[in-house]
Amino acid sequence: MSTAIQLAGHAFELLPERAVYWRARRSLLLADVHLGKDQVFRRSGMAVPAGVLGTELARISRLVARTGAERLIVLGDWVHAPPDPNEDWPSEISDWRRAHRNLAMDLVLGNHDRALRDWLEAWSIKSHRSALDVDGLRLVHEWGDAAGRPGMSGHLHPGAVVKSGHERLRLPAFLLAGQHLVLPAFGRFTGLMDQTPFPTEQCWVIAGQRVLPAPLPGRSIRA
Amino acid sequence: MNAIETLFRRRGWPVFEFQRQAWQAYAHGHSGLIHAPTGSGKTLAAWGGPLLDSLDAAPGALSYLWITPLRALAVDTAANLNRAGADLGLDWEVALRTGDTSSAQRARLQKSPPPALVTTPESLALMLSYADSARRLGRLRAVIVDEWHELLGSKRGVLLELGLARLRALNPELKLWGLSATLGNVEQAMQVLLGPRREGTLIAGDLERRIKIDTLLPAEIERFPQAGRTGLSQLPGVLKALNQAQSTLLFTNTRSQAELWFQAIRSVVPWPEAVFLHHGSIDRSRRLAAETAVREGRARCIVATSSLDLGVDFSPVDQVIQVGSPKGVARLIQRAGRSGHRPGEISRLLCVPTHALEILEIAAARRQVERRHIEARTPLVGSLDVAAQHLVTCALGGGFEPEAMRSELRDTHAYGQLDEARWRWLLDFITRGGPALQAYPGFRRVIERDGVYRVSDRRIAAMHRMSVGTISADGHLQVKFVKGGSLGQIEERFLTRLKPGEHFIFAGRLLRLERIRDMIAYVRLGKSGRPSVPRWAGGRLPLSTLLADAMLELFAAADSDAPLPAALQALAPLLEQQARHSALPGPDRLLVEQTESRDGAHLFLFPFAGRLAHEGLAALLAWRLARDRPRSFSMTVNDYGIELVSDEPVAVDETLLRRALSPRGLEADILASLNAAEMARHRFRDIARVAGLVFQGYPGRQKRARQLQASSGLMFDMLSEHDPDNLLLVQARTEVLEAEMELSRLRRTLAHIEECRIVLRQCDRLTPLAFPIWADRLRGQLSTEDFQARVERMLARMNRPRRPPRAADEGPAGAGVRRLA
Repeated sequence: MSTAIQLAGHAFELLPERAVYWRARRSLLLADVHLGKDQVFRRSGMAVPAGVLGTELARISRLVARTGAERLIVLGDWVHAPPDPNEDWPSEISDWRRAHRNLAMDLVLGNHDRALRDWLEAWSIKSHRSALDVDGLRLVHEWGDAAGRPGMSGHLHPGAVVKSGHERLRLPAFLLAGQHLVLPAFGRFTGLMDQTPFPTEQCWVIAGQRVLPAPLPGRSIRA
Repeated sequence: MNAIETLFRRRGWPVFEFQRQAWQAYAHGHSGLIHAPTGSGKTLAAWGGPLLDSLDAAPGALSYLWITPLRALAVDTAANLNRAGADLGLDWEVALRTGDTSSAQRARLQKSPPPALVTTPESLALMLSYADSARRLGRLRAVIVDEWHELLGSKRGVLLELGLARLRALNPELKLWGLSATLGNVEQAMQVLLGPRREGTLIAGDLERRIKIDTLLPAEIERFPQAGRTGLSQLPGVLKALNQAQSTLLFTNTRSQAELWFQAIRSVVPWPEAVFLHHGSIDRSRRLAAETAVREGRARCIVATSSLDLGVDFSPVDQVIQVGSPKGVARLIQRAGRSGHRPGEISRLLCVPTHALEILEIAAARRQVERRHIEARTPLVGSLDVAAQHLVTCALGGGFEPEAMRSELRDTHAYGQLDEARWRWLLDFITRGGPALQAYPGFRRVIERDGVYRVSDRRIAAMHRMSVGTISADGHLQVKFVKGGSLGQIEERFLTRLKPGEHFIFAGRLLRLERIRDMIAYVRLGKSGRPSVPRWAGGRLPLSTLLADAMLELFAAADSDAPLPAALQALAPLLEQQARHSALPGPDRLLVEQTESRDGAHLFLFPFAGRLAHEGLAALLAWRLARDRPRSFSMTVNDYGIELVSDEPVAVDETLLRRALSPRGLEADILASLNAAEMARHRFRDIARVAGLVFQGYPGRQKRARQLQASSGLMFDMLSEHDPDNLLLVQARTEVLEAEMELSRLRRTLAHIEECRIVLRQCDRLTPLAFPIWADRLRGQLSTEDFQARVERMLARMNRPRRPPRAADEGPAGAGVRRLA
């Protein structure tokens, strides 16, 4: 069950899969996938199981199939760190791209997307240095780069704490202020920040298959 | 007569039989355990062996190791050992190496190793991680483990067991001695220390030491006792006691209580500069200042927590005051031992109850002390996280061969029964990350070459050394003055709840939070305002079974026709009220009360099984009652009993209760009743850290490690999804049941209830036993809703306007007590 919002006169759906769907443009937007993060950990001697990458890509595939999206726009941090030469996860991404040949892909480069030029070509991803402007919307990685214009960003990995009595849950969140929307991190091997500098005016949390309006993060309201 | 006895005689000190025994046993090459109360001469009993030994043969580099569980102890211990050596005219010194030791000093120690070293289990593990450890530590003649009872039963103890097994493998002739307070299971304690294959000598010291326990009765006793109080209303009585003694050690059970008592005492005594604070979170220099003040006789009163439970061997104090129940007999004896420190003297302890029922707890403790019934400490077995860490340590420390390492593990109590599958899994975990069939690509930590397991990557080596140990340093912020000067550490959870400008009390000062940056909280001295006091997690020990049993006996005594025991005279009105409106609990019965109020229908049970087992029991009972008919309960527990509240009364009778309290199907039901997955996820925090699945970062360089930061919760989710059979997950699930709800105690409790009479009472008001649970209510909830429904309900409640505060006159009938808002 998704939630509908409007930005600069366009209609968007906030999806419980931690993504946004722009039906009119058949475009899927997501941020902070952090592919290869598990590999960075393994490289350093921390035993993160294999399979994280495959699962994340499969999540995108399912989402593309369900929505019928023709274009995928990633708002930064597609990968966690540049691949080491002997690692094979980048070719797993290549395989996945071949399986989705008709899906156009745009990446607004995030702070983690460094030294990727050759790989971006291999993955046929069109990259954008600091912003991608589409139909009056400014799509960026860090919200500061939107310069007050309507748009979307990632980077913050927003989360919100929901508490009532003894119970306390921390859930991924969408944040809205004015005409700017911050997306939750799509990658599930990423953390959540419940305190962000973003001047949030509205907040939705993801609970299972639903996107629900929630009290503003950082302001602790107790039942 | 040996040199030490001659020395003692010259000084006019008595030599105790147990000391002589210990020296002889050492001279014969034996290992063993010396158990005696604090300050009875244990230190010299253990150190005499090495001293005499070194008179015969001068020690070389690293001949003796003295291991102490607390850094705070190490300074004094080293000084003590040195004094003894100097008295004998020995020309070598005991050095110190703990987490507090500077890196320059460590380098010096590494370069020219001293003959003897005082260190901690963690520092020993670190020493084992250096490539030349076999050469350096293989020459050890003896290792002495101080305060072994503190380590036994914890993962730190397991880590030390592994370290000792390593040292035994390096030198089979190694002499190993432990010092322990008296426990219910001293023989087992010795066997765990020495390893299962060795014989040892058990030496008991000065067991007949007398302990005098007094209770400071409050001027007025409430009939409706409330837990969670600070006991500060007893300040006048405590002051009187302080004025009657030259020096007093005042123990509290929590660090926040210590802060409050310290403030309170300082503000009323005419000698505030002679009042000191000592607890584990305070900066080392301030801890040392307190210890020095005691030694020099400048301290009139030291407010302390368990950080001083151990043998900081400072000069005896005149009296010990215990605020709140000690919750266990062993702890009480240990604390009492800090006064009348001289062998043969009487230990005096003044107990200050913080609520009325603690008077009964104290009386119960006194009863068990007289009988010399003391709790046992159960050693842990099979913790794979600690084993994984140790294997990486050994791979770093010169590498290991699997067969030799396997037999080293077998030489410990903790892994004596480790099966082939688990051993295989451990090796796979450190080399491949996971099981062989689904190797983790690109993983590297330990590498096997030519049958030897080693770590070759320098960065991995550095990260591992940074993470050695089993104590979670998770989420602690350094507290510093803006103008410089460190005060200590506080849990992040507390500090992040404060806003800049707010006041709090820490290290005995009123502080104002300025800002938090890079894991450091900057503060200034505060001026006014209502301060909050940090609450440190943990530290709330459940009532021990021994104490609980004695409490039930006392209730039974009060219930008989015999005159009320003198210690309980003060409680007569409370007991009378309890008996009139309900009944008294006892060893042969389970008291169950039902009461209705505007909160709903209350069901109280009083099994006296301690807080942790009660948490499990409450969840189990709620789940079984709701299985018959769907409903929601809110649950509260304390050390005495549990409360379930529901909207509609539950029609309970004996048959229903017996069924709901049956020990059959306990494990399956308890797993179903708890949010076991969520609890295990939480438990996984420490396991992931110990096993090296998460990295906490380089000290002082937090930012550089950011790329490697992932929460243990995230790691738990990833493993559950991609490697669900990971044995560390299994360990988390097992640990959670034992550590968080004392499953074995719960099992015994249910078995006991089967034998008991059930006394079911309908009450028209809250009884003195029920009141404290009720006042503490709403700790947990049990419902069978799914995740989404749960979040929706929580959001609905959050969005609802707050209810107006309750009127003050709604206390339980007949009691002039205000209800908690």
